[in-house]
Amino acid sequence: MKWKNFYIGLVLLFLYLPILVLIIFSFNTSSLNILFEGFTFKWYGELLNNVSLLEALKNTLIVSITSTLISTIIGTISAFALKKYDFKGKKIINQLLYIPIVIPEIVLGIALLSIYTFLHVELGLGTLILSHIAFSLPFVIISVRAVLDNMPSNIEDAAKDLGASNIKTFWNVIVPTIMPGITSGAFLAFTLSLDDVVISYFTAGPGSNTLPLQIYSMIKTGVTPDVNALATLILLAVFLVLGISTILQIRNIKRQVKV
Amino acid sequence: MKKIVLLTLISILLTACNFDNSKDNVVNILNWSSYIPDVVIRDFEKETNIKVNYGTYSSNEELLAKISSAKEGTYDLIFPSDYMIELMKNRDLITTIDKSKLTNLNNINPNYLNLSYDYGNNYSLPFLAATVVIAVNTENIKDNITSYNDLLNPKYQNNIVLIDDQRIIIGMALLALGYDMNETDETKLKQAKEWLLKLKNNVKAFDSDSPKTFLISKEVDIGVLWNAEAAIAMEENSNIKTIYPNEGFALSIDNFAIPKGSKNQDNAYKFIDYILRPEVMQKIIESYPYKNVNKETDKLLDSNYLNNNAANISDKMIKNGILVKNIGSFVKDYDKVWAQIK
Amino acid sequence: MYKSLFQKIITIPIIIYALVLIAMPILYVLALSFLKSDAYGGIINEITLQNYIDIFDVVYLSVFLKSFIIAGIATFLCIIIAYPFAIFVSQKKPHIQKIMMVLVIAPFLTNSLIRMYGWIILLRKEGIINTFLQNIHLTDHPLQLMYNDLGIIIGLVYTLLPFMILPVYSAVSKVDKSILEAAKDLGANKIKTFTNIMLPQTASGLFNGSLMVFIPAIGYFFIVDILGGGKLMLLGNLIKNQFLTARNWPFGAAISIVLIIITFLLVKLYKKKGGNMDELGGF
Repeated sequence: MKWKNFYIGLVLLFLYLPILVLIIFSFNTSSLNILFEGFTFKWYGELLNNVSLLEALKNTLIVSITSTLISTIIGTISAFALKKYDFKGKKIINQLLYIPIVIPEIVLGIALLSIYTFLHVELGLGTLILSHIAFSLPFVIISVRAVLDNMPSNIEDAAKDLGASNIKTFWNVIVPTIMPGITSGAFLAFTLSLDDVVISYFTAGPGSNTLPLQIYSMIKTGVTPDVNALATLILLAVFLVLGISTILQIRNIKRQVKV
Repeated sequence: MKKIVLLTLISILLTACNFDNSKDNVVNILNWSSYIPDVVIRDFEKETNIKVNYGTYSSNEELLAKISSAKEGTYDLIFPSDYMIELMKNRDLITTIDKSKLTNLNNINPNYLNLSYDYGNNYSLPFLAATVVIAVNTENIKDNITSYNDLLNPKYQNNIVLIDDQRIIIGMALLALGYDMNETDETKLKQAKEWLLKLKNNVKAFDSDSPKTFLISKEVDIGVLWNAEAAIAMEENSNIKTIYPNEGFALSIDNFAIPKGSKNQDNAYKFIDYILRPEVMQKIIESYPYKNVNKETDKLLDSNYLNNNAANISDKMIKNGILVKNIGSFVKDYDKVWAQIK
Repeated sequence: MYKSLFQKIITIPIIIYALVLIAMPILYVLALSFLKSDAYGGIINEITLQNYIDIFDVVYLSVFLKSFIIAGIATFLCIIIAYPFAIFVSQKKPHIQKIMMVLVIAPFLTNSLIRMYGWIILLRKEGIINTFLQNIHLTDHPLQLMYNDLGIIIGLVYTLLPFMILPVYSAVSKVDKSILEAAKDLGANKIKTFTNIMLPQTASGLFNGSLMVFIPAIGYFFIVDILGGGKLMLLGNLIKNQFLTARNWPFGAAISIVLIIITFLLVKLYKKKGGNMDELGGF
């Protein structure tokens, strides 16, 4: 049993090694990231003065939040429509939805770039948002559909029998029932968008540098330790959110075990 | 009916994405990476209230690809090198420069005006000059390197960084073989390819963005790189020396140019004029010590710059530099050779 | 059939999406792949098969081969790391399992490029690993850990590992423990239990994970750029270069189409083996 724990620990070490390094070096007085020379908070201060990095962070948030919202709304409606109605081309659409999931991102990236160029669409935040919707929408649909498939069909019928309109039924009955699917779809869309490098690389324009793109160019031209500080802060936020949700879920698991 | 609705929706969707940048007070600049320090851009923004959208590229070819694929009017100011100015001029990608809008025009060193790629400077104004040099960390390399051919020594396996620039690196191979740097002859290009494949065993990385990092962090001991990169490496490590090879070296004059259809031309001129100020150019040169072409700035530069043989190249020396030339559609042959090397 | 206004409104967005953001771009790339390009990046409206013929040039075939080998090695290593990990974790108590899986996912919610930068600090010549190895006298000269194939493989395995762990873990945890117990009681040794019960029951999870690792690995040009030193070219870099430096869009399009076809064949195989398409969504 011990060596199994050792193995698990080893894999986790592999996953966390580069992150630990970044956190440690974010407190390093030397800017060279080679030896730890002394403890400092100065890079966290510098971070606030790094205009390009903060601007990229702002763009990333704009793109991720907008594209997630749109993907979630369209994805939820569409999952419902695809399940409930038959229409021309539905089969093809169902097939097309898998394309962004399975093809290499770079192919979708150059395809979107090509079509924007062909249609003379100016690259910028708009094309970025559109492109992020392109790759995240199918994930929302699949996530919502999984819940929708398990929903008893009589719920909808009951609501209709009681005289509720289509929209009311959808909004008041169906949406609350499939909420877990919607939130996990939205979460997935958001994280995919937040960290996208490949598709953004091809579809961003002047003034729409996202955080991953900015860090990519910084890695190529020289990273300053304020990036380490930013990484540490992002990680802190992620762990806070995940930690809270995990504690809540574990409580549930334990409660179930007790019952 | 349904189709019409669909088509209008599609067009609305697409036009909605054309966020109109022109109504804001912005200037969209595309420049080489590591060329203008962040602080210069921020100072310009503070002084003029013009927002600078700053993007970077690593080679003239990358710039050409970006300019020719982006919608006309996406960018307002770019920094192509000599041969690329000629090519872009011929391809109608850049527009003429209205010199009356520039108050600091006379600061430019006249040696860098009226050159073969743009007589009369109707389409371009020089920003900086860069040369390609060999930098060597003499702590670990005791040999006396004087020629590109010395780099083929198998001792240097995995010990060289090269800039990631097809014209410069293929040009280097041609020079090493005793040919013209702008050769288009098929068999000579093939020999250059063979030469580079031999060199590749010694190459650790191709990097245009910050080859100096490889030298400073001692990842490699030899670099073929832009002179400012070598100059910074020399400042960081006094064991690093810069060599101008016997066969000659590439000279690249990078210029201000305004893409055709630019929507914020006035702001682009303001930016050019700002850069041409002696003290602004001084800041740029002190951060990225390329060869300065602003004669007023020359008076401000200190001994750190003047005594660094990678940064400050004498006028006599610079005359030996070889310009990359526009070779028209032979560029495809270079593309092919490059693909085979990498 | 009567269509209500409600039905129309809720079906239109997905139709527009599928047409404008998926079908149109892909079809345009297909069209592009049969056109010619001039030396400066212009596209000439002349139909040709030359782009597909060019792919059979030794230079480009070797890029394909190299990409598949590197992606294959990365996939194999991911299986080797993820499979035992998933099995061991699945033997833990439920809440420990939950914590473990959160720990696996958490790093991947932070920026992947920052994590790549962490690897640079670790792997470079004067980096942490080399300094450590030299200090404990395991080696007297720095090892070449990056700017070569090894660096790329480390980067790919690291970035894509969760995409293997998640499906494999979900397959492993579905295996009925009582069957494993029964096999043990009947005297089957560990290896037999594994090959006869565990492996067949988790094969689809392994296949799923392999697809989710192998396909992206071919296209992640930024990992190759950062950890490979720009001298190695995989398909992702080749396509990127055609579009962003060599200005030969039609050729880049042709390579992309070939890549799409290969992907479809792999997915078809996956479906034939009983794989569920929706599970390819990962998570």
